[in-house]
Amino acid sequence: MRGAGDARETLMSVALQISGLAKTYPNGLRALGGVDLGVPAGEILAIVGGSGCGKSTLLRLIAGLETPSAGSVRVGGDLVGGPHPAVGLVFQEPRLLPWLTVADNVGFGLAALPAGERAVRVATALERVGLTAHAQAWPRELSGGQAQRAALARALVTRPQVLLLDEPFSALDALTRTALQDHLLELWAFERPTLVLVTHDIEEALVLADRVVTLRPRPGRVDNVQAVAMSRPRDRDAHNFEVHKRQLRAALNQSLAPDTLAPDSLTAAAL
Amino acid sequence: MSVEATAGLENGTLAIAAAGPRPWRVPLPDWRPLLLGLALPLLAALAWEATVRSGLATGRLVPPPSRVAVALWKLARSGELWPHVGATAARVGAGFVLGGAAGILSGLAASYSPLFRRLVDPALQGLRAIPSLAWVPLFLLWLGIFETSKIALIAVGVFFPVYLGVMGAVLGVDRKIVEVGRIYRLSGLQLARRILLPAILPALVVALRTGLGLGWMFVVAAEYMGASEGIGYLLVDGQQLGKPDQIIAAILVFALLGKAADAGIVALAAPALRWQDAYEGGR
Repeated sequence: MRGAGDARETLMSVALQISGLAKTYPNGLRALGGVDLGVPAGEILAIVGGSGCGKSTLLRLIAGLETPSAGSVRVGGDLVGGPHPAVGLVFQEPRLLPWLTVADNVGFGLAALPAGERAVRVATALERVGLTAHAQAWPRELSGGQAQRAALARALVTRPQVLLLDEPFSALDALTRTALQDHLLELWAFERPTLVLVTHDIEEALVLADRVVTLRPRPGRVDNVQAVAMSRPRDRDAHNFEVHKRQLRAALNQSLAPDTLAPDSLTAAAL
Repeated sequence: MSVEATAGLENGTLAIAAAGPRPWRVPLPDWRPLLLGLALPLLAALAWEATVRSGLATGRLVPPPSRVAVALWKLARSGELWPHVGATAARVGAGFVLGGAAGILSGLAASYSPLFRRLVDPALQGLRAIPSLAWVPLFLLWLGIFETSKIALIAVGVFFPVYLGVMGAVLGVDRKIVEVGRIYRLSGLQLARRILLPAILPALVVALRTGLGLGWMFVVAAEYMGASEGIGYLLVDGQQLGKPDQIIAAILVFALLGKAADAGIVALAAPALRWQDAYEGGR
């Protein structure tokens, strides 16, 4: 399963290299048990898995918000030992700062730039996410979808090489979610950063990603890597999409099956 | 949460008309509740005025409003009032600055450092349980009968609400928002300035207003214990010379000064809290 991906990694420059990454929390919970992943520059990688499979932990480790118990994360060759300037993160909630206008929120990470340049960058970012008219609005005046677009703009305005997205659209209604998935691809096309997207939504993973990694829980580790060889934009109703969907669902179900028959099997079956 | 048609707005083009850029949206003051609230006291004052004027009561111990107004006017005209106002305001100001600064600093320390919190907070909570006026004799003994003991008493009154308010506010700052700061690699100082301070500002303003209110309460006690100047002195003087009109005049001055100082804090904080104004809606 890994063969195709590995071959590509050697050809393209690797933006993100994860080696033997493990995380055990002080309370003894093994969230992640040795993950190896290479993500070539410009790739969109989706990570799926049942709840508790460590996918959020994996993302937080890449973001440098947590320190690994073993293994390493490298971004463009740099060892990640904390939040890295070339890595952006979009959370599940917009997390806009309520006391800043939308424009100031978007420019939050650009404090080091001179005001003029910052204004230009913020204006461009707001235009790309279609929030120019809301530049001076307060975050609480935005709808859920608008707020998440502002959060995307805030993350993209610093031009990260790697953008991490932690279930970024899961709190939105279905229509808004689909619109934002398409919008994310438009935004990605501008500078083609490497995207690592954690999601529990199979369709979202297949609409967006070049490869979908399935994690197996307790402790989290890579169970399956599925390449998505469909050109973009992808038609959610196409036959080929359905085939991929079935394949990924099977992989996900398999990852949820217990290693051995354990009392856990009931919960796995319920999922 | 607005229940607008998100689906139509998502592509941005349609969204423009919905909220638009935000001008200064100053709500027009509604005077009717104020008038309604004033009706009862005004009516009572007029009734008492009429009762005294018609000779049904002498108004010796409870002077009618006109006599209070005259007393106040005389104090202001003769210039006698202003040194008193100045002395009281200076005491409250000094006590507020000292107690407020100490409250902010120890509140920050307690919220930043669990060790400080475990070490100092129980002691402070214990001290807080003491009615602050019980300190008076000790302060007089330690600090003398002049300004120092008065200011110390006021500072103690201001300290506790500010300490508790700041500690609670910092401990209550959303970890998720702090994480945004970490992602952008803010240093400790930047994190404090760009995330923590704005996040606690609403609670800080409330704490300072509560503290200042207590400061005005304590200055009365401090001046009542012995002062040759101050609004509190006018109270004592009015009592000893049997001038109830002067006492009520002094009470009115206290009310006005307290209200003005509170409005001052609100006005100073208003530009920084503009983002919040819609939350104040439900009265």
